[in-house]
Amino acid sequence: MGDYALLYILFAPFVGAIALIFVSNRQAMLVRGIAAGSALVSMLASLYLFFAYDHVKGGFQFVQRFEWSRQLGISFHLGVDGIGTPLVLASGILLFAGIFVSWHIKDRTKEFYIWLLILAAATIGVFMSLDLFFLFFFYEMSVIPMYLLLGMWGSHTKKYNEMTDPEGLKLRDSVGFILNFGSNSKEYAAMKLVLFLSAFAVAALMGILLIYKYAGLNTFDILVLREQAQLMNIPVLGTTLDKIIWILIFFGFASIAPLWPLHSWSPVGHAAAPAATSMLHAGVLMKLGHFSIIRVAFEILPETTRELMPIAAVLCMFSIVYGGFVAYYAKDTKYVIGYSSSSHMGYVFLGMAALDYISLTGAVMYMFAHAMATGMLFAMAGWVYDQTHTRDIPSLGGLSNRMPFISGCFVVACMASIGVPGTVNFIAEVMIIVGSWNKYPLQVIVAVVGIVLTLAYLFKMMRGLFYGPMDQKYSHAHDAVSAADRLPLLIMITVSVGFFFFPMHLYNVVRSGVDPLIAKITRVVPVASQERETLDEKRDARADSSPQSLAALPGHVSPPAPYASRSDQ
Amino acid sequence: MTFVLPMSFPDLLLLLPEILLTSWLCLILIVDFSFPRLRNEQLAYFSIAGLVATLGCLAWLDYTGVTGTLFANMFALDRMALFFKMFIVGSTILVILSSIDYIHRFKFFRGEYYFLVVMSALGMMFMASANDLLTVFVALEFSTLGLYVLVAYLREDIGSNEAGIKFFILGIFAASLLAYGISLVYGETGKLVFSDMTSLQATPGLAIGFLLIFAALGFKIGAVPFHSWIPDTYHGSPTPVTAFLSIAPKGAAFAILLRMFLVSLATFRPIWTLLLVAVSILSMTYGNIVAIAQKNMKRLLAYSGIAQIGNVLIGLATGTKMGSDAMLFYLLTYLFANLGAFAIVIAVSEAIGSDEIDDYSGLGRRSPFLAFSMLIFLLSLAGVPPLAGFIGKLYIFIAAIKEGLYLLIAVGLINVVISMYYYLIVVKKMYVSEPRERSPLRVSGPIKVVVYICLAGTLAIGVYPQPVTDWVVSAILVFSNVADPTASLPVAPPVIPFGG
Repeated sequence: MGDYALLYILFAPFVGAIALIFVSNRQAMLVRGIAAGSALVSMLASLYLFFAYDHVKGGFQFVQRFEWSRQLGISFHLGVDGIGTPLVLASGILLFAGIFVSWHIKDRTKEFYIWLLILAAATIGVFMSLDLFFLFFFYEMSVIPMYLLLGMWGSHTKKYNEMTDPEGLKLRDSVGFILNFGSNSKEYAAMKLVLFLSAFAVAALMGILLIYKYAGLNTFDILVLREQAQLMNIPVLGTTLDKIIWILIFFGFASIAPLWPLHSWSPVGHAAAPAATSMLHAGVLMKLGHFSIIRVAFEILPETTRELMPIAAVLCMFSIVYGGFVAYYAKDTKYVIGYSSSSHMGYVFLGMAALDYISLTGAVMYMFAHAMATGMLFAMAGWVYDQTHTRDIPSLGGLSNRMPFISGCFVVACMASIGVPGTVNFIAEVMIIVGSWNKYPLQVIVAVVGIVLTLAYLFKMMRGLFYGPMDQKYSHAHDAVSAADRLPLLIMITVSVGFFFFPMHLYNVVRSGVDPLIAKITRVVPVASQERETLDEKRDARADSSPQSLAALPGHVSPPAPYASRSDQ
Repeated sequence: MTFVLPMSFPDLLLLLPEILLTSWLCLILIVDFSFPRLRNEQLAYFSIAGLVATLGCLAWLDYTGVTGTLFANMFALDRMALFFKMFIVGSTILVILSSIDYIHRFKFFRGEYYFLVVMSALGMMFMASANDLLTVFVALEFSTLGLYVLVAYLREDIGSNEAGIKFFILGIFAASLLAYGISLVYGETGKLVFSDMTSLQATPGLAIGFLLIFAALGFKIGAVPFHSWIPDTYHGSPTPVTAFLSIAPKGAAFAILLRMFLVSLATFRPIWTLLLVAVSILSMTYGNIVAIAQKNMKRLLAYSGIAQIGNVLIGLATGTKMGSDAMLFYLLTYLFANLGAFAIVIAVSEAIGSDEIDDYSGLGRRSPFLAFSMLIFLLSLAGVPPLAGFIGKLYIFIAAIKEGLYLLIAVGLINVVISMYYYLIVVKKMYVSEPRERSPLRVSGPIKVVVYICLAGTLAIGVYPQPVTDWVVSAILVFSNVADPTASLPVAPPVIPFGG
């Protein structure tokens, strides 16, 4: 495979989806087999990609470029750097796990897998696009499958089915229900999600079109634009053009992240979505926002990013605290996890806002780590819902007797989500906190409060679901016993724990993507340069590595981290 | 006064498609009269054979690059005319294919139906070549004549009769506006041929004249504020006629608009850009907002059509070659998505006898094929990747941003989101709502063919638009005077990947 790894990862799900069209719904095992097979190809290729990525060389690798439209200056240009690689891996793993999590879907199985595969493939496409057009193309393409997945296989919130008014008319069909925030139908959630994301996506598209026009290069290629686009200091409407573009791009993509106050679609959407969709949605779809901001705003408008990124630093505090408190008081398992996700995405914004080598590396690692943690939580919330047909925490309890395996995994998932040592989330959180401390001490304190909140609401939910007295009507609930049911959880746990003990490759890969970016934005040698020089001297004295060969590489603004090379041995 | 028509055989070559289709038109009538036992399908396939032959002839002309003018510049055959003729003939073929099943609803004159459709198409082909205001008038009325009859073809149906009356009255009104406009322009300039009018002096009479002509063509394309006939006519007409109305005359009218604005009025571009921007914003916004409230599928598509025309007008408002390329591209994507959607409306109404959106409930369970195709067509109309409509919209927006029409693009983008809402309402009905009955729907062969062709077009253009882009770019080369030299050049600077 080698050079074509990206094409395998991207097109395996598409090919699977097309193949599924020709299979009858009656052959359920064949349908699942095709879906799982194509997801497996995608996951294996993304594993290969991750481990074959040469972090010493850095930059964009596995590049594929095909002319797509001469007149519009669009090329189908794929490539991954250190930031895209782990996210592609996370998408591959979550897609594969999601196929197994939805193993028991009976209604229109084939259609479900088709849309799930398209959703995942579109997401993966964003992470590897090096052309603004295709970045947007895949971004927008990932939104529509969400509508169908939520609408067709989703579930209403608990109160929605009971909403009637005194005259016996269904209140839910009237205007009244729009104002009733607690109870939503799945159609409402799906429509809200699509319209919300599309509305902000067109803002981002406006930004992209402005970049295209003012760069004047007749190309959408990110690599060309970041080198040659001259967008600074063009006065427009009392401000400068680059600021307008940056705001459009930032808020356009931050809506999917979701940054407070643009988050309201997200918990509603999570609650309505089937388990596998929630996993992909919270696991990777949200990261499209951060990733696209990094890829477009950070790469093409570095100066403006330095100037305006404090906006994110302010808003992320609200994200963290607000999400945390709502999650604490929410009674629906998926609302808890959904708000917890949007709270945790605030950490990523904090890591990005600090514009520091360590913090941004931490932010990208956190995206990867959070994908695993939240994927597990949603998978298990989905399992509990399938068994009990409710997501109402107060009415549940004591399920650990019925499902020991699930409750055991749930503890691990909570640990991961909180960031307890033993999971890769811990490393990432510490890096964000350490890296941001110099610049944003207040935000760091808020983030630490957020961790305490996470602990509180996850333990509260865990106690509510699995411990205490059990209602007898749930006595038929059973555990995940078959291999197909246990496999996705075991994969995600392995990844989450494994990268705690062997984080260096992940760190090095991410760092190789972050280094040139931060160097370009901040125009300073790494914050820890002093320390690094001394370390470099020590290392040279030990003469156990060959730093000059690394430093001689073109484009490497900063030397690779000293501990990086230690793991190479 | 003697009127000399210098014609030789090579000149006749330029008219070959029209001559072919005219003779075939007569043949259709003769066959229909001579063989009263001939079944409908056979006559339909007979008409389609003639249209396919015409299409082949047009493609051959396009391939060999034959161009020229006839009758003292009144009739121009350039690559743009060829594009629009292929567009018209292609859509007519699809419309006839999708009416084969519908035709049993007509009590009388089933054979003449095909004759009238092909006759209108022939008139539109002349419109695409009209290089002269008189030809515009004659060809436009010629094509509309057939449509007047077709709209009222369901004789027992009040809705169809009402549609016919409305269409007729407003059509005649538009025709009178056109005639008055032409007379004013001729009075001011003494010229009728578009390409002779390149150096006009701005006078009030000329301005009013061209405004009236624009209004008349605005009726044809159904842009706000000339749209009032559209919803009722679309709703009442037989559905295949609605499909025909929604695409072919619009293409023909755009050919005339392009010639008029980009050749005759090229010097007044700053002025008419304002006019077109206003009409475009009104069309998009009005069409999309009113479409939200629709309960009937045909009306929904009517209003969405008004909005789509607003999008096409963005391309015209740019006044550049790239904008015109984008228009042609967009019209092509609209052809596939729109005709596909109407084909499904026909199939559904044949099966369940209703066009109401509520009756589409559970279509995803009753006929996965129809529901999936409808989903693709609606999403293409909404502009969702990887479908043709997305590329079309983006092409138009890129052309517009190069001219700095920011307001227009902003309104256009907001309208994309609004339109997504009502298209998704239909999707919700089809996929989320449960069906009232569960019996599967039967889809006839010809409709399936139409749907497959439209699906293939929608997906292929969306995934790989380069061949179509090349085609439209070469079709618009006729306007070399407005050509933006950078627009068509392959400018892709060398890629410098990070780290060498």
